[in-house]
Amino acid sequence: MAPLDLTPGIASNLFNTGAERLALLGKYHKQLMQGYLDGYVDETAFSEGALKKLIAARILWRPDEQQPLALRPLVSELIASMVADENRRQINADVAEKLEQIRNRVQAYRDAQYKGDYAVAELQLQRLTEHVHDLSGQFEEAIDSLWHRLNSDFGFVSSLDDKIRENERAQKQLRRLLDGLDLLDFTELIELSEGNNHLRKLLVSQLQSQLSSHHSSLLEVQKRLVELLAKFRQQQSRSLLISNMVAFLRQHPKYQPADYPNRSELPDLFNQACAIRPQAAIALDKASERQILAELVRALPRQVAVTLSDTPSASFSELLQDEEIAARQLALKTDVENFYLRVIDRGGSLSALEYLTEQQLPWDSEIWLYQILAEYQALPVDEKQMFALANEEVKANYYNELMLIQDINITLQGYVNA
Amino acid sequence: MLQHGPLLERLLAGDFICRITDEDAYRHLSLEQTQQDINHYLRPLNRRLVSNDDQSVYFLGYYELSKEAREQLSQQFAQTVQSLLPLLEWLQLVQETLGRDSALTAGDTIKLQEFVLRTEDNQSLRQRLNTLASDRFFNSQSEQLDSQVKLIFRRLKEHGYLLQPHADRQYYIVTGKIDYLIDVIRFIRDEEHLPVEDTPQQEALL
Repeated sequence: MAPLDLTPGIASNLFNTGAERLALLGKYHKQLMQGYLDGYVDETAFSEGALKKLIAARILWRPDEQQPLALRPLVSELIASMVADENRRQINADVAEKLEQIRNRVQAYRDAQYKGDYAVAELQLQRLTEHVHDLSGQFEEAIDSLWHRLNSDFGFVSSLDDKIRENERAQKQLRRLLDGLDLLDFTELIELSEGNNHLRKLLVSQLQSQLSSHHSSLLEVQKRLVELLAKFRQQQSRSLLISNMVAFLRQHPKYQPADYPNRSELPDLFNQACAIRPQAAIALDKASERQILAELVRALPRQVAVTLSDTPSASFSELLQDEEIAARQLALKTDVENFYLRVIDRGGSLSALEYLTEQQLPWDSEIWLYQILAEYQALPVDEKQMFALANEEVKANYYNELMLIQDINITLQGYVNA
Repeated sequence: MLQHGPLLERLLAGDFICRITDEDAYRHLSLEQTQQDINHYLRPLNRRLVSNDDQSVYFLGYYELSKEAREQLSQQFAQTVQSLLPLLEWLQLVQETLGRDSALTAGDTIKLQEFVLRTEDNQSLRQRLNTLASDRFFNSQSEQLDSQVKLIFRRLKEHGYLLQPHADRQYYIVTGKIDYLIDVIRFIRDEEHLPVEDTPQQEALL
């Protein structure tokens, strides 16, 4: 930064310049943010005057003759801190320099007081306060950044290797911060503030409590970082193990490991017992539980008794009241009986439909087949065994297994056996 | 012992108990006293509690290794060896398909739909899935990606590697049995001195 003279005469001038330049940041916020993301700014997005102003305000600079214009590192850092961009955020672990500044300011403050120049002493005290806050803020910023990285699981980098590297970097930063904290010697600060209430409050009570809370935060972060690193390494080794084992097994398809289950010392991993499934049934030996069991039984859904009508096959003709139909039915029955008698006479196999046409009977072929089946079903069991029914079937449909009976061949069983 | 009834039943049925499948039961099992109680109870059944090296998953083993027990274990071991390659390939496939930077571990969630969507558009992933699905372990007869994936996940659920929290929602959680699988591989590798590395090479670190 350009050295700035702090004499009160130009303080208002300083105020104006600062305000003007800060306004530049707001005025070109979109282009500057784009520049932050791209790493360089697009010069065509600015007018020539604007570029000059931005360079004069030390917001933009040209690192090299051949290089495009870019944001000054301090501006980039400001943005990174504002948006918690862990890829770019910087941690300043330099404590020694800050301590040196604090020492100098305390000296200047005491000198001014000694000379009785209270206005200057007041200004020095204010600067000193800033430095102390700066020191504390530096740790706060660092801790915030570390927590942010931890909580996002280092999600701002994509690969596991990068995460491991980032974690290691964070651990180094943390170690430097802890070293920095060690540099702060409170006996020295107590000596510095001796005999002055303002200084004691600022340097001892306030700073001490802040730093000790930073210290415990840092230790917590460190613990978590180490744990996370162990987890990352475990994941990494697991991925490697899997891919290398797959490669090995592919190269050796016939690979067979040793027979661990039959070793005298069986490794626990392979001692996996077969399952036992405990079964239980209702027990009636406990009188006290009968009530509950009875209720359970009562609660069972009851099956509605379906009254099945008598098999209509053999006897449905008798159910019919109409004389005419009954007569036809009887005729059909007689014809079927004759058919069976014919089967017995012939001794061989006989097709039902052939018989129907041969005898020129008036029955519909479907009715005829149905009646033959019905008559067969109605026979007593031992007589049924005398006949063998062979159905000639055709699939009704391509899509299901429904079979249609086309014809029935009846053979006299006794004949075949004989 | 009554309080551990359901847990005992699961263990006897051959289930692996881990933090994911049953958190309460797992916590109980981590207590030394409970372990002793359970072992005492299981003694007449010739069973005892067994866990993997880092105690992330518990299951039952034989207390005494009778001839029958050995036979059963041999059979089981043969199945385990047979399932190694398909299981590992599945792990790899999921990791690559979902663009994860690390292998699946217990507690990871897999959305079936996401897996299908990403496989659909990628010919090489599609091809690998096809080969994997027809492996004897998964044994899919289907040519359809959707039913292949469903079958694979269902089989893994049956084997206890995955947990499906809601029967009608197609997302799965990886269980601690995966840890067991990794331990088995590590064991075999160490025993047989297989040239299978699991630490990154030096140049990878630089």
